[in-house]
Amino acid sequence: MNRRVYLDHNASTQVHPEVVAAMLPYFGERFGNPSSVHAFGQEAREGLEIAREQISHFLGVGKDEVIFTSGGTESDNLAVKGVAWARGTGHIITSEIEHHAVLRTCQFLEGQGFAVTYLPVDGEGLVDPDDVRRAIRPDTILITIMHANSEVGTVQPVEAIGPIARERGIPFHVDGVQTFGKIPIDLDRFRIDLLSFSSHKIYGPKGVAGLYVRKGTKMVAVQHGGEHERRRRAGTENVPAIVGFGKAVEIRAREMGAEALRLTALRNKLWAGIGARVPEVRLNGHPTRRLPGTLNMCFRNVESESIVLGLDLKGVGVSAGSACTSGNVEPSYVLVAMGVPLDWAMGSVRATLGRENTEEDIDYVLEVLPPLVERIRSLSPTAVS
Amino acid sequence: MNYSQRLIDHFRNPRNAGMMRDPDGVGEGNFDGCGDLARFSLKVVDGRVSDVRFQTYGCGPTIAASSAGSELAIGRPVSELLALSEQQVTAAVDGLPDERLHAAQVVAGAIRAAARDYLARRNTQNRSEVRPHV
Repeated sequence: MNRRVYLDHNASTQVHPEVVAAMLPYFGERFGNPSSVHAFGQEAREGLEIAREQISHFLGVGKDEVIFTSGGTESDNLAVKGVAWARGTGHIITSEIEHHAVLRTCQFLEGQGFAVTYLPVDGEGLVDPDDVRRAIRPDTILITIMHANSEVGTVQPVEAIGPIARERGIPFHVDGVQTFGKIPIDLDRFRIDLLSFSSHKIYGPKGVAGLYVRKGTKMVAVQHGGEHERRRRAGTENVPAIVGFGKAVEIRAREMGAEALRLTALRNKLWAGIGARVPEVRLNGHPTRRLPGTLNMCFRNVESESIVLGLDLKGVGVSAGSACTSGNVEPSYVLVAMGVPLDWAMGSVRATLGRENTEEDIDYVLEVLPPLVERIRSLSPTAVS
Repeated sequence: MNYSQRLIDHFRNPRNAGMMRDPDGVGEGNFDGCGDLARFSLKVVDGRVSDVRFQTYGCGPTIAASSAGSELAIGRPVSELLALSEQQVTAAVDGLPDERLHAAQVVAGAIRAAARDYLARRNTQNRSEVRPHV
């Protein structure tokens, strides 16, 4: 039996056992609807409000500034559409490497008459704050830039972009799905007005996320119905998941600092090992301004899905940068925006580490990956022999 | 991705991979959509394929289909390979997911091209052999 090594934590994570334990009563005796006035409802309400307290405490914000949603995608949609629709018209600034939840929402809004500027990034995936400044127009209504990119892990200079937005009185939304609970986010110092953050990237359950909205930020609801979440997000709250999310955040508060150091060391060991054993490989993303557990690399003249499959057969879960759908391989739009040449971009592989990974896991990957790449290259007519 | 055991086996242990010295026919198949490329080389004895080698750049299924395609080709009359279909290659790996059908397309195309190349070379050879007598 092969060893099993999960290296896809930017996709999703295993729910922490303490989180599972915290959730269980809310599937059982605490099953009520938190909007109900009776004791059953109020017991559920209590769980909801404890979670809101845990999360607002972690972020250092008011409880009424946190909205629960169904996921990072909904949080991004609510932030971008909610702010845009509150104004009705205007110009939005974003980057070319945002998550699709932001990119496609912006494209949708363009169809409604909004103007959008998609800022380029440099070779390491960084947005230049001066580009943001130059892109601002009198009718700019929103700046939305991700904190860290899920594919390459580059951490954007949001601390430099936020003050530029604030100076001009423009709301600043940050998609923090990949950084929340992994690296510090100082909402006041970074001048962030809206922050999307998610549960299942930090050992909480799927189907729940949050949106921080700074008091005074003009934003309309996107989903209408009842009075939930102070009328900003209608729909009965997913109480067990929210309770689990709160617990996951509480655990992150005590674990994230040490884990960031440990994962950075493991990630660097993995990259150093691969660099020493495999020819024609390059690192994607910023060498240091990068998520602790994220390693994205390109193997030249190898198609990334063949590596993903080969590693999967060895029990190792990583993800491919290029995605093949209906016979069309799209090289990652993030790598394309970063200017990675096509013969490299097709062979991009992402390994993202998390709390359960060990030195032994890394040793195992270093044992199975180099011969796999060598074997696949040996089959290829394009390989340099 | 749900791949058959047979496909996985071909991916893990590709048969007939590599280059061939003095092939009797060489053909390539590619797929513009994703840059997949397969090159097949044939040895032919008495009109039948006696040996095959392939070199392939592509995803796991394309590598596996190349291996399975090489086994399909060995021992067959070249004339049959001219009409080798994607379906035959797909069947040789016990099926492909819809979004990976191009793997069979690339491989069948490469084998048909190698068969055509063999026949073209043979015709040229025959002509050059008979020319002195004309």
